[in-house]
Amino acid sequence: MDWFRRFLGLQPTDNEEATESAVQPAKPIATDAPTQPNPIGKKENLAPSMETLPKRPRDLPPSELDTDEADMIAADGRTRKLPPLETVQPEVGHQLVYGQLSDVGQMRDNNQDAVLSFVSSASLSQAAPNFGLFVVADGMGGHENGERASAIATRVIAKHVIDEIFIPSLSGEIGSSADRPTITEVLREAVQQANHVVSEQVPDGGTTVTTAAIIGHAAYLAHVGDSRAYLITDEFIEQITRDHSLVQRLIELDQLTPEDAVEHPQRNVLYRALGQNDHLDVDPVFRQLPPGAFLLICSDGLWNLVKREEIQQIVLEERDTPQQACQRLVEMANDRGGTDNITVIIVRVPN
Amino acid sequence: MVDTRQFAIEPNKDLLGVDGTLQQNSVLNNRYRISGVVGVGGMGSVYQARDLQFPDVERYVAVKEMLNLSQNRDMREQMKGNFEREANILASLSHPAIPAIYDYFTIKDRAYLVMEYINGKNLEVILSQLDETLPIDMVLGWAIELCDVLDYLHNRPTPIIFRDMKPSNIMIDVNGRLRLIDFGIARVFQQNKKMTMIGTEGYSAPEQYKGSPMPQSDIYALGATLHQVFTNEDPRLHAPFTFADRPIREYNPNVPPMLEAVIMKALAYDPLQRYATAREMKEALETVRRAMQGSVTAAISLGEVPSEAVEEWGSEQTSSKSQLRWKFKVEDEIRSGAAHHEGTLFVGARDHNLWAIYADSGELRWKFATEAPIVTNPDIYREGPTVLIGSDDHHLYSVDIPTGRLHWKLQTKGPVRSSPSVIHGHVFFGSDDGYLYAARMSTGRAAWRYAVEAPIRSQPVVLEDMVIVAAESGDVVALDLSGQFKWRFSAKRTVISTPAIHDGIAYFGSYDYHLYAVDIKNGWSIWRFRAGKPIISSPVVVPEEEIVVFGCADGYIYAVDLFNNRERWKFQTDNQVVASPAYENGNIYIGSVDQNIYCIDAQKGRELWRFQTEGPVTAKPFILDGVMYIGSLDHNLYAIKA
Ligand SMILES: Nc1ncnc2c1ncn2[C@@H]1O[C@H](COP(=O)(O)OP(=O)(O)OP(=O)(O)O)[C@@H](O)[C@H]1O
Ligand SMILES: [Mg+2]
Repeated sequence: MDWFRRFLGLQPTDNEEATESAVQPAKPIATDAPTQPNPIGKKENLAPSMETLPKRPRDLPPSELDTDEADMIAADGRTRKLPPLETVQPEVGHQLVYGQLSDVGQMRDNNQDAVLSFVSSASLSQAAPNFGLFVVADGMGGHENGERASAIATRVIAKHVIDEIFIPSLSGEIGSSADRPTITEVLREAVQQANHVVSEQVPDGGTTVTTAAIIGHAAYLAHVGDSRAYLITDEFIEQITRDHSLVQRLIELDQLTPEDAVEHPQRNVLYRALGQNDHLDVDPVFRQLPPGAFLLICSDGLWNLVKREEIQQIVLEERDTPQQACQRLVEMANDRGGTDNITVIIVRVPN
Repeated sequence: MVDTRQFAIEPNKDLLGVDGTLQQNSVLNNRYRISGVVGVGGMGSVYQARDLQFPDVERYVAVKEMLNLSQNRDMREQMKGNFEREANILASLSHPAIPAIYDYFTIKDRAYLVMEYINGKNLEVILSQLDETLPIDMVLGWAIELCDVLDYLHNRPTPIIFRDMKPSNIMIDVNGRLRLIDFGIARVFQQNKKMTMIGTEGYSAPEQYKGSPMPQSDIYALGATLHQVFTNEDPRLHAPFTFADRPIREYNPNVPPMLEAVIMKALAYDPLQRYATAREMKEALETVRRAMQGSVTAAISLGEVPSEAVEEWGSEQTSSKSQLRWKFKVEDEIRSGAAHHEGTLFVGARDHNLWAIYADSGELRWKFATEAPIVTNPDIYREGPTVLIGSDDHHLYSVDIPTGRLHWKLQTKGPVRSSPSVIHGHVFFGSDDGYLYAARMSTGRAAWRYAVEAPIRSQPVVLEDMVIVAAESGDVVALDLSGQFKWRFSAKRTVISTPAIHDGIAYFGSYDYHLYAVDIKNGWSIWRFRAGKPIISSPVVVPEEEIVVFGCADGYIYAVDLFNNRERWKFQTDNQVVASPAYENGNIYIGSVDQNIYCIDAQKGRELWRFQTEGPVTAKPFILDGVMYIGSLDHNLYAIKA
């Protein structure tokens, strides 16, 4: 999260503030708080075009100052730790790491799934944001329609999110105003745009989409269809998207047990997908990810064949090598028949 | 009359058009001369043909063609047998709303069913060509006729379940007569598809997907059909079984509530909650018709109302479950909430006073007079102990709790309508002069102030390392605890609502009709939810339900999902809701300008009870040890068993 605080000229939280003190106005209140060192070179590194200072600096006539109060600066009542002088220090688990794999499976002769990961890791630099975008799309339709639909949807979504979130954040334009769409809205627009392009260019195809933008520890998802996203920690695995499938609706209405759904003749029937209708309802999902947690996105080729406990176990066993976890999960699905295309992305958020 | 292009045995390739349909004027089975295609179905076409058996009259028939696509010979024979059996059953039916079957035969890979020709359109086509809604009494007539034909089918010696009730299977002829077509005979030729498909039947009942259709499944599909006729919303374009999310009367207010109730009962998920028989539903519809014609003014009997509605009526009757402990009358309106310290409640009023009242007895302990009305909530400085309150007389007061005497006061340059927050030995509050103040509790002197440059009417939210405050300009500003700017979020209009903080997110409402979720690390907006009017109410987060709850000037109390920003429920009151909710033990407590204080189940949004005061309620309830304390514009402070 640090990079955009820097870009927006915002103050860091907690005890990091020394690293930023170069851009703060001098403290107006006399204090015996620890003197805060100015890290060398920090100031120059700040992008000059950004709003590095509050628009409206505070105004504090001296007469109103409570100058006899020496402890004010520690207003939270705690002694502040002296911040480290060296701020540029690589740290294990400090970055977004991910793995990704898409496999045709054992039964199909083409892969209609599409997958995309875009990661900008910035914990060592101020020039690029700590940002990740992930897309899984499972296309459907005869001939080449399925793979075309999923590919087009993936490209359109990536372009829109990068244009509307990543690029503006680099130039400091993204910000905090109701005049701009919220991040959730940008993701929804991206999927809706993809819907229109797919309808236009692949009239006989359709696709699911599950996409996630990860900014710091916050995950913003947009979802349509029956690809899935899971949140995985040491303690639990939770499906955070809801399948837009007939059987899922029947389960929600207590008309079907999850066990029966596995065998249900209409288990592949979706009621929502891209490329079907001009109007598309997109599910947004927002989650704060616990430090060190994993986000896994996959197509039904994985979750139909690998139980969620198994998914959790493999992800945790390979916690430092998500790519290895992807490999093992795809192998497991293939060992069990590989009846469909199998696609998986695993993202580990920083500690 | 001799037709030279007869073909007695099988359709010759020459007689098929490029798309595999029979060409005009080709003669089928030596008897039916095709005059055109009238419909295309899943398994083949439906033709209009002239029956040459009757050369002197122009008798037209409809010929439904079905392709037997099965590759396997045995399979094909089996399907042919099924077809003939089904055709025989159909031919034995006799009902004015069922087209007569005249003939059937098989030619090579095609099966044909010859029936009465209906000069009309199917209902799906009619709906798609419609600009306005259909007259209600006309639809009601069709609905009754459909119940009648279902009743007929369900009561055959071997009951027939229609299984495919939907607008495209209902035809209305030029005389306005209705006919049910397509008895699913084509199903015998269908093959199982395994691929992922998009689109469900949309009209089918939940149990039908378990492969166990029953008469009630037809009733559900009829309900779905009628729902579409009145709303013109195609259920195939929505998530399955979501009719209740599209209330008929919201689309078409002319539909009488009784009729809506009948349709919604037909659409119950549980077959046992629907009408037990088509006859029963028919009778309910006839009652509606009589009521509409004015011949019956009596209300529909309870048995004909869907169970949902009954439950709603029931909940209103439970309304006086609450219990008044005491009430205390002050000298003017109470607009703001109360605070508590060791058995004493504190509340400000427009009569300029801060009142201290014993919580158990409702007796006066002391009152402290300021120079102008008070519209802010008090807060407690426990180390004093003192109670802090802002007044329209421009001051923030710290009042000694044991004595009720002034501890100190701090002057600003405008009315103080921002409730104070006491924490870390400091008090944070805003003023209409546009500043956020931080003052030391021990001395009452400002440690710093920060120019937000617009009146502040919300309470500052103080966290471990920052203070967040909202202003009239619509700006929500975060500062660190020494008054250094961190970030700003700008709503389109005023924010009076005090942010609720949960899991790193600030939730607050604005006059711009939105509830915002903003990341407190950087002020980025995560999502927003649009209500119907300005949101003045300060939200409360209910972590157990993963919802945020708030009132709105549109009269509703909303619960919005934290993770997908969709409405979980909303609860309607009879006037604006500017008050803030409190949450306690699974319940939401909130007042409305309609003079009531409501207790609502946080999970479902159902009313548990309400308590009526004699004036609008704008204060936030304060709940302690199972008792709710809340003031009203009727000048009273109430203590009510929560
Ligand atoms: N007896 C008839 N007279 C006139 N038109 C008819 C008649 N039967 C059917 N049609 C027309 O043909 C269309 C298709 O007919 P039908 O619903 O029987 O076949 P289908 O849709 O192929 O069947 P299924 O729904 O089982 O696939 C109808 O919507 C209607 O417009
Ligand atoms: Mg039909």
